[in-house]
Amino acid sequence: MVATRYAISVDVGGTFTDFVLFDMDAGATAAFHKVLTDAQRPARAVIVGWREVLDTVGARPDQIHYAVHSTTIVTNAIVARTGAKTGLLTTQGFRDVLEIGIEQLYDIYDLFAPYPPPVVPRELRREVVERVTRDGDVLEALDEGSVRTQIGDLVGRGVQSIAVSLIHAYRNPNHERRIAEIVAELAPDVSVSLSSRVAPVMGEYERTSTVAADAYVKPLLRNYLQDLLGELRQLGYERPLYLMLSSGGITTAEAAMEFPIRLLESGPAAGAFAAGYFGTLAGHDHVLSFDMGGTTAKACLIERGKPAVAGLLEADRVHRFKPGSGLPIMAPTVNLIEIGAGGGSIAHLNELGLLSVGPQSAEADPGPASYGRGGELPTVTDGNTLLGYLDPGYFLGGRMALKPELATSAIERHIASKLDLGPTDAARGIHVTVNENMAQAARTHLIERNRDPRDVVMVAFGGAGPAHAIEVARLLGIRMVIAPFGAGVASAIGALTAPMALPLVRSYMTTLAGADWSHVERLYNDMREEASAAFSGVPGAEAPQYGSALDMRFAGQYHELRVELPDTIPTKGRVGDIVGAFQKRYTEVYGRVPTGLGVEVLNWHLEAESSQIVFHLSKVGAREGDAAEARKKEREIYFGAPEAGYRTCPVYDRYKLFPGATLSGPCVIEEREATVVVPPDCTVGVDGYRNLVITLGTEAWA
Amino acid sequence: MTTRATPETHDPFDPIHLGIIWSRLIGITDDMWTTVLRTAVSTIIGAAQDFGCEILDAEGNSVAHSNRSMPVFNIVMPTVTRAVLERHPVETMRPGDVYVTNDPWLCAGHLDDIAAITPVFLGDRVVGFAVTIAHTSSIGGSLTSRTVRDVYEEGLRIPVVKLYDAGERNEAVHGFIRENVRTPDMVVTDIEAQMTANELGGRRIVSLLREYELPSLTAVARQIQAHSERAMREAIREIPDGTYRSEVVADGLDHPVRLRCEITVAGDEMAIDYGGSDPEEPRGGINCTLTYTRAHTVYPRVPALAERARQRRGIPTVQDRGTGGLDPELQRAGVGGIAHADRLAPSPVDLRGARAGRAPPGAGRQRADALGARLRARGGRSLLQCPFLRRGWSRGEQGEGWHRPQLLPSSARNVAVEVFESRVPVLVHDRNLRPGSAGAGTWRGAFGHRIEFGPLPGYERPLSFFLNPDRLRFPPKGLAGGHDGPRTEIRLNGELLGPEEIGSGQITLKTADDRFEVAVPGGAGYGHPAERDPALIEADRASELVSDG
Repeated sequence: MVATRYAISVDVGGTFTDFVLFDMDAGATAAFHKVLTDAQRPARAVIVGWREVLDTVGARPDQIHYAVHSTTIVTNAIVARTGAKTGLLTTQGFRDVLEIGIEQLYDIYDLFAPYPPPVVPRELRREVVERVTRDGDVLEALDEGSVRTQIGDLVGRGVQSIAVSLIHAYRNPNHERRIAEIVAELAPDVSVSLSSRVAPVMGEYERTSTVAADAYVKPLLRNYLQDLLGELRQLGYERPLYLMLSSGGITTAEAAMEFPIRLLESGPAAGAFAAGYFGTLAGHDHVLSFDMGGTTAKACLIERGKPAVAGLLEADRVHRFKPGSGLPIMAPTVNLIEIGAGGGSIAHLNELGLLSVGPQSAEADPGPASYGRGGELPTVTDGNTLLGYLDPGYFLGGRMALKPELATSAIERHIASKLDLGPTDAARGIHVTVNENMAQAARTHLIERNRDPRDVVMVAFGGAGPAHAIEVARLLGIRMVIAPFGAGVASAIGALTAPMALPLVRSYMTTLAGADWSHVERLYNDMREEASAAFSGVPGAEAPQYGSALDMRFAGQYHELRVELPDTIPTKGRVGDIVGAFQKRYTEVYGRVPTGLGVEVLNWHLEAESSQIVFHLSKVGAREGDAAEARKKEREIYFGAPEAGYRTCPVYDRYKLFPGATLSGPCVIEEREATVVVPPDCTVGVDGYRNLVITLGTEAWA
Repeated sequence: MTTRATPETHDPFDPIHLGIIWSRLIGITDDMWTTVLRTAVSTIIGAAQDFGCEILDAEGNSVAHSNRSMPVFNIVMPTVTRAVLERHPVETMRPGDVYVTNDPWLCAGHLDDIAAITPVFLGDRVVGFAVTIAHTSSIGGSLTSRTVRDVYEEGLRIPVVKLYDAGERNEAVHGFIRENVRTPDMVVTDIEAQMTANELGGRRIVSLLREYELPSLTAVARQIQAHSERAMREAIREIPDGTYRSEVVADGLDHPVRLRCEITVAGDEMAIDYGGSDPEEPRGGINCTLTYTRAHTVYPRVPALAERARQRRGIPTVQDRGTGGLDPELQRAGVGGIAHADRLAPSPVDLRGARAGRAPPGAGRQRADALGARLRARGGRSLLQCPFLRRGWSRGEQGEGWHRPQLLPSSARNVAVEVFESRVPVLVHDRNLRPGSAGAGTWRGAFGHRIEFGPLPGYERPLSFFLNPDRLRFPPKGLAGGHDGPRTEIRLNGELLGPEEIGSGQITLKTADDRFEVAVPGGAGYGHPAERDPALIEADRASELVSDG
């Protein structure tokens, strides 16, 4: 018997594949690692990096106890449209559901705002004869002849995957299930996704969009995971591979292959978990994760280590991250907000001549002006360079030299000269504006969750996060920011901290007073069965804990509130408690409860969870010596307060800071992937886990 | 190191801080919008999203509105807020007051749109208004709006009144509303949703003002108006001076109606004149009030002109903006004309069919016009559900028409068939794109939609639908050599109904086998079809929406 002592986490992103190797015996991270993602064959980069990260500490593959994986492969396949040739079967009369959408002009001032094309073109969308009513009664039986004809024709056209979405199938799934049997009989190699299994909820557009996207990525994810598992076996790793779901739960590779759309936000969900972990580690219950990268910034409220989960998200927003411009996906997803604000966000003057930043981004190519790769438009990174926040010689740890003179001329030409400002003021304007955009989005996110920002601690990561975090925190009234050690691989850390968990949902619209409770019981039995199937064979997870939640509204409303019912399954006897919990939540969110309306339930959720957390950091001992040893040089850095202007500030090396060290602003702390900008009147402590804990002054200094 | 002047030390309205404050205000209106959406109970508001939210200063000038707001509502909100101020001077207002009205001449052109106006107090002073206008599920009156003879038949008219007086509900007003609408619980709950949103907006405005130490919204409003006006004047200046004329003929009710439009551009000013349009119609609510005509005249020009501004700057962006800066657009419509219904001799206005949005603007771009069929199901009791059905439209030289954002000028969405069926005893048999419905062209129009439905089997009572179709007589016109789209087609049990047979617009289905079908046209084509890219022709053929002929 080999002694296993390591846990490994791999996060495949668009550019980099990140690794964390955790030594469970020592309670410490053994190694961080990064390799370039292999777009052609992602498994190859995973294997290369896996081997390398083990080599750094001399570990063997069979010493790994637990391996977890988060990936953007599903999102990327949808955005780049590299999924399988997919067919869609709908009820007769509903072939164009995907194309009709919700017919909404999502921006009233942009008459030509685009929509993403459906993942299934019209010629591959086919109708079958059948009809079920709103109550689940069969009005017209499934005409199996029409099903066979359509499947035969789709397969003849080279379809590798078939999505099935019949009207009211969330109420009665039998016709969809029969179609799956016929596909298995006629074309066993073609994968099938059923709307009644992937997203059994009311609303034909959203449900069809979800099942079509699921079918579209299913063959690709299956091939990828089978390839990866095969390679890992060859390498000598025999234990299971677990995957991070968008909801923040961990699932088995087999379950992930069954519902690939549930992996859509796998990486960001893992990042939110990392923030929650570090917040909890520092003793805080309410944490706002703040992840700012090159193109977007994400924020997520995490309460007691758990992010809130939403039932709907949009994939492939084609128009500047605007809500409404993407494909709706009904899958439980960590409820984070994402806006077009990153290091690459372009600053410009809007039609009214006011400064505006983002959402369009210079991205990696051509990138910010200061990259010197042909980008001419000024970006947030250019502003940060001009203000001295970034060291042109230490960008990405010195792997890429920035050209500050290009940043200055871009800002001068496109912003400063038009506003009659100096370049420094224009650069400061860019920095302040993008911070305000992010603070506004985060504020709305917090207020919607009824959380006062002053009770919240921010955990900042992402390439641009630590340079903006403290000012964003100040705008929100947040008084403490944590910049974790290993922030450059936060998603990989986060996946190690997440529990085995599976959120499930069934639609059954009913008034609470008139509910058929035996039907509710069937729904919950069904979900429990699905959960135990997913958890079976997972060591330590055979007996998951169950919690439930209901999407409820006042009779007649069109929008629901999710009400958590921890440690209980809804039954007739609990109706009073359920109504009470709903009214309480409603009052928290909207301020007033309408009079004289009954309560309806739309969706019934079950959350199965089994804690088998392997990531337990131990404290690192304090070292002798003070922060002066970490001080590498000084440079001129601009701050807006207490007196606006450049001042000479110390620059510290993050890797030479150890527990017990304290610093005070103004200063910057550099690590390879990010720079922490600490304004005046803030103090920085290094905690027992080498995380930077920044305390903001009480003085307002706007 | 020298300390230099910075944005932080400038006045709060430099281009950086004004942008930030404005964007915060727009964020507040977005949150108001979400609150209405989530707390309303009618289909028209909660699902179809026919409402808007705005913040105004203490004088009733627009400051910010949600980007998802119904455009027309945004533009009439200053009018209705000033109407409140005229009747209830600002010094008489108290915290907890809420004013309501649905007067078509002060508000949004027909009785169905109810405005809720909430003054926002900083201390004991009114610093602004949070206003929401929403399309109510019922306002009483006739169900067949095509046959009404005056505005009194169209339903309850609510003058500018306090529904809440210092937080106390005015039971007389409340009772009048409840007793005069078909769905009293729904109507009252929806008004409460509007108030809830206004209250939230008010709280957030106050905390913003405190944070920036602003005494009121007035200075912000002035600045935004000035910036908007400058941008709009710049855009108008780029249009060559001259007089542009256009005329369209619309279906009307019993007979076609003619709309004339004359746009005169001189320097940075634009005058729009609907004089010469047909006179008011005495029957069927297709007349427009001036507030409504003005709103539909102003709105399409904002994105159209802003687009020019975008192209000029070479940056592909559009930002949220207030409704300010529209003053250069002066409109005249002869009193008593179809585009300016006379308040003294109140003509019916419910359908507002002669909306100015139909008139092609002088700038030469083909704008979408769209009047969808509105369907209302009615069983033994009033159900009043309303799935929008949209026309496809055209994008002119921008390229191929989209199938989706089709009801212009509107920000509403459709209602899912599954949701619709769950609320009314109807079975939808078909709801697809309509083959052959796009006008041919170098860039063809988008395809229109068709819907076919009947009573839910087992539902025994007669089921009535009320519809107000357009394009039965006149198809959408092609431009620059593009072909026209088809006409709207309405069938009852397979039988095509002509404009005369639509009559009052009430269609009653008596048995479960009855089928009712509405097929609306797509957009017209732009440019000669012979110049169409062969790859696009092939794609159309593959889609089975265009036949080879």
